[in-house]
Amino acid sequence: MTPDRFQLQRVLGTTERAVRFAMKPLAGRGFPLRAPTTPRGVIVPDQPDTLGAAYDTEWARRPVATISRSLIVNGPLRLAIGVLTRPRVSGLDRLSALENGDDTMPVVFAANHESHLDTAILIHAIPRCWRRELVVAAAADYFFDRRWKAASASLALNAVPIDRHQTGRRSAETFRGLLDDGYSILIYPEGGRSPDGWAQEFRGGAAYLAQRAGAPIIPIYLEGSGAIWGKGARRFVPGRTQVVFGEPIMPDADMSSRKVAARLGSDVARLADEATSSWWEATQRFASGTTPSLSGPETTSWRRSWALHDRRRRTKSGRPRPRPEWPQLS
Amino acid sequence: MPRPGFVLDVDRSTPPMLFWHGERFSLERLPADRSRVIYPAEPHPGLRDVRAEIRRAIAEPLDSEPLAELLNPDMKLTICFDDVSLSLPKMRRPDVRQLIVEAVLTEAAAAGVDDVHIIAALGLHRRMHDHELRHVLGDRVVDSFASSGHLYQHDAEDPDNLTVIGTTDHGEVVEINRRVAESDLVVYANVNQVAMDGGWKSLVTGVASYRCLSHHHNPQSLENTRSLMDRHHSALHHSIWRMGSVLRDHGPRVFQIETTINTDAFPSPFDFLSKREWEWTARDRASYLATSKSLDRTPTRISRRIFHSIKAPYAVTGVNAGFTETVHERTLAEVYRQHVVEVEGQTDILTMGIPFICPYNPDSVMNPILVMCMGLGYMFNMYRGRPLVREGGVIIMTHPTYREFDPAHHPSYIDFFDEVLADTTDPHEMSMKWERKYAEDEWYRHLYRTQNAYHGVHPFYAWYWGAHGRAWASRVIIVGGHPDTVRRLGFTPASTMTDAFELASDVVGTRPTITHLHVPSVLVADVR
Amino acid sequence: MKALRIHDRDRRFAASRLGSVLGSPNARGRGPLSLDTSAFQQAPTTEWQELKVMLSGICGSDLALIEGRASAYFDPWVTMPFIPGHEILARTAEGHRVVIDPVLGHQCRGLPVPDDVSAPADGHDYSHMVGGQIEPGIQTGFCCSAGGGWAERMWAHPSQMHSVPESFSDEQAVLIEPVAGAVHAALIALRSRDEAPLLSVIGLGTIGISTVAALRHFRPDARIVAAGRYPHQLEAARQVGADVVTRFDGLARALRRLTGTAMIGPDTGGGADSTLDCVGSGDTLRTSIGTTRPRGRVVAVGMPAEVTVDLAPLWHRETELVGAYTYGTEDVAGVRRHSFEHAIDVISSFPSPWLLSATYPLNRHRDALAHAATAGRRGAFKIAFDLREEN
Repeated sequence: MTPDRFQLQRVLGTTERAVRFAMKPLAGRGFPLRAPTTPRGVIVPDQPDTLGAAYDTEWARRPVATISRSLIVNGPLRLAIGVLTRPRVSGLDRLSALENGDDTMPVVFAANHESHLDTAILIHAIPRCWRRELVVAAAADYFFDRRWKAASASLALNAVPIDRHQTGRRSAETFRGLLDDGYSILIYPEGGRSPDGWAQEFRGGAAYLAQRAGAPIIPIYLEGSGAIWGKGARRFVPGRTQVVFGEPIMPDADMSSRKVAARLGSDVARLADEATSSWWEATQRFASGTTPSLSGPETTSWRRSWALHDRRRRTKSGRPRPRPEWPQLS
Repeated sequence: MPRPGFVLDVDRSTPPMLFWHGERFSLERLPADRSRVIYPAEPHPGLRDVRAEIRRAIAEPLDSEPLAELLNPDMKLTICFDDVSLSLPKMRRPDVRQLIVEAVLTEAAAAGVDDVHIIAALGLHRRMHDHELRHVLGDRVVDSFASSGHLYQHDAEDPDNLTVIGTTDHGEVVEINRRVAESDLVVYANVNQVAMDGGWKSLVTGVASYRCLSHHHNPQSLENTRSLMDRHHSALHHSIWRMGSVLRDHGPRVFQIETTINTDAFPSPFDFLSKREWEWTARDRASYLATSKSLDRTPTRISRRIFHSIKAPYAVTGVNAGFTETVHERTLAEVYRQHVVEVEGQTDILTMGIPFICPYNPDSVMNPILVMCMGLGYMFNMYRGRPLVREGGVIIMTHPTYREFDPAHHPSYIDFFDEVLADTTDPHEMSMKWERKYAEDEWYRHLYRTQNAYHGVHPFYAWYWGAHGRAWASRVIIVGGHPDTVRRLGFTPASTMTDAFELASDVVGTRPTITHLHVPSVLVADVR
Repeated sequence: MKALRIHDRDRRFAASRLGSVLGSPNARGRGPLSLDTSAFQQAPTTEWQELKVMLSGICGSDLALIEGRASAYFDPWVTMPFIPGHEILARTAEGHRVVIDPVLGHQCRGLPVPDDVSAPADGHDYSHMVGGQIEPGIQTGFCCSAGGGWAERMWAHPSQMHSVPESFSDEQAVLIEPVAGAVHAALIALRSRDEAPLLSVIGLGTIGISTVAALRHFRPDARIVAAGRYPHQLEAARQVGADVVTRFDGLARALRRLTGTAMIGPDTGGGADSTLDCVGSGDTLRTSIGTTRPRGRVVAVGMPAEVTVDLAPLWHRETELVGAYTYGTEDVAGVRRHSFEHAIDVISSFPSPWLLSATYPLNRHRDALAHAATAGRRGAFKIAFDLREEN
């Protein structure tokens, strides 16, 4: 690996020098070729905050943007995800009652979150009738704090900002409007990527949005993306992932959004149990109330990662483990 | 609103009719003013939410306590399901059996049941391949149970796992799978595609032994089965129902879950197959031309693979659960509602096109014996009351009937064709002279038990299935079949339909009346 | 005298090897055989007598030699130029009909006869075949001094001549030689086979049919399975007494049905007690070994050439692979008779004339050889040259 890294640095260095050299003629120039300086004593008015949760992503759903997104997403991105993460998708038959060709109603997909790859993997796995009009709820303070980040996220992933610390009324209205227009929403109820591989508590935002809009929630469990490129990981190691779709949670006006959130959490925990053992054992444990928690054991940090390692070993996802070598006999 | 089936009287403006011809089709013109065509009903609409309907059925069963009350943690629960011979063609995933088994297992988990066995009730049919099990039961059930050995296939030749539960008053021994007999509750997941199946037949044939089956799978019974689709006039079903009473009185508690499906068998681009010819749109005609022209140029091997990979968009039209006999009456009512077509009188000739598939060759070759079984067995028996053709009339079928066999699935069929049919085509004679040798051959037994072969005696059963048809018609003609092979079956080969009518003329005269059975959709003709 | 002669010309042999790939070369007239008229050669020794040939059959070994397919093994045993033809019915000077045992043994060559030898092909040492008063040569029909059947006249030693029963027609008589070969092969196959053996015969040309008939003649209790290719062969096999008749690809299954054994791959776990391979190709030898029971016997009756056979099954099943060459003195139930005498019995018991399917005069030798080479496909068995008018 070492020679390659230096190679890259050499190339970057050469490029930087070439750009600097090309920019030399501009060095001595001033305004209007370069940005103006502010005179002393002048108060510059505050620009309205058009970033963060207030970023308007409507342009990304116009036809031109949609077409260019389908060229980026449907082609190369899906291929790359298929090769690098080799997702194994199961449970799609549970959605068969909701699929209705062109009349399919929009739903809210709620998944656990381990890595930036999750959205791409889920876009790969979600059936075509929802994938065509899918919007991703992305953290406003992470994806929409810079203009270039906001623009790329909107264009590439059809992302919409959501304030993850407090689901404001504005977000709720935006999402409700999107659901009414027929867009399905992909949201991560944890609010962020898992820091240590175990899931965090599911917040009520997803349930709240779905309740307000009267849309079914599809719980999804994602396994293995954290091992490939988790939070804080410096390197990307190709491996295997697993996507398990659960039974839809139909909207029920009588249930409070907190109850729905709890139900969503337990459904995803049950899917996780199904993915790491077998459906029958998971069903039996669910019936007796002994489904293992998604957030892992409530112990000190080293024991949590120990248990995580055990759990990852039971699945086929994550990084490929080294195979035992055959002895050389001659 | 789906239209019911009806009888078309052919006149000069009737277009040519579609005939199946194995893996191809042909359009044949039937003589005007003395031919009629029986069209099946259009598919009835399916249930909106099958899972909810299944849950309702097992919570509110017929003549039984709800399933939840029958389950307790210390019990032995066995779930049996119909094997790969249903549905034809196989339905899209999820298969309704997957939905039933998952619903039952969810109840079982809630009740804390641990000892669960899931058995494919295949009788003397072949073992299912892994991908077929996954198609029928879904990955979740197979992954959960196969590795622990609790999901397996009935083995009728395993003496340690068979037990006699009783004898009927006609002296018929009821010998079934030991696990089934010794369970506290047996749940059966059934798909009733035709009126022949379901009721006591599910368990009495599906988990029985050769000894038990030979009481009704024999030429006598099948010649007196008039017809297979009408259990009240079928010696086969009378025997099975007698055995069912023994099962009810001395066997395990049975919770039968039966489902009915509509007749929506073909997705586009093959949906023109179930449409009435004069209603073919330009698109349908283009589909037909494209399909038949390309099939003519495709090697049989490939066209067979294409056809066997069709997944039918069947919709479930009803779910009933509870006590076997009550459930089955409801199921039959639903099946007849979809299938029955009223027909007046019989004709001299019955024509039918034989498709590429019958219940005994899913994903496999249709060998000549199965052509006979499908034509004279199943399709001839699609009646109630009287057969569509008069006694002593002529039956004309269209199929290429090549001398080709699948050595992995049908090894005993090859020897049956070479040895038994070369000697005799009479079902009674072969039953006395040859059946025992094939039933007891160690090699066939080994292949049935460990590979994916039909039991050694199965070709005999396929032949007996056509015994009634064979005795009823005075001549059977196959159009477009390989001549030597057709003669070996005891039939007459003809190259075209016109030649076939000519060959029939010494029996039925030069101006016979003709009925054409417009399958592929299944129907039951109620002949007055 | 008119005769067909094979000359030693490499070019023509090379041409015929190539030609045999495309079909019989004699149809194209490029083979090594030529029809010439020349003086009748000298008698090899004074004992030899002149005979007038009546009918002379064409055998598979003749065809192999002409088409250049014969094994190189025979090179020292054959001397050129020679007149082919060893299935001979001829008339002596006194007018008696005789058939010829063509093997050139001790007596023909004027060598002392060892004690254990009574017929020319008996014995444990073949060295005499290249010695004595005549040139090296295994048989009449392969030796430059001995003449052969495809000619108007020939020489024969009295030890080679066997008289033909009066009741036999000429067509029956010319079959005595090939049937004798079949008798010899059948007796080899039946050595130490006591109760109701299961016998399998592969290949149903003249030799195959004769073998089935011979087996049935010696052992009415045996079960015989015959495998052939063409419908007329299958029908003939049924008529001469085969119990089960099948095509080549159905042989393993037929043996499996009769023994109740298992199939292991393409072979049977058990199989026939003895198999007679009357074809001699790599495929049939492999099938023979694979469908004969372990410690059974495979008799190679038809003359094989250089074939490639996987011998692992032979090793594993401890199969006895034995050749059957022509005829000799046979010991049946303690009685010693020549194979030809048994052949006469066998022919008497089956309707043999139809084994001789067609005859040709010498000058139509190209058609005759083409017919013989494709006999199976054309519904024929034995083809012979008819020289009765010329004499």
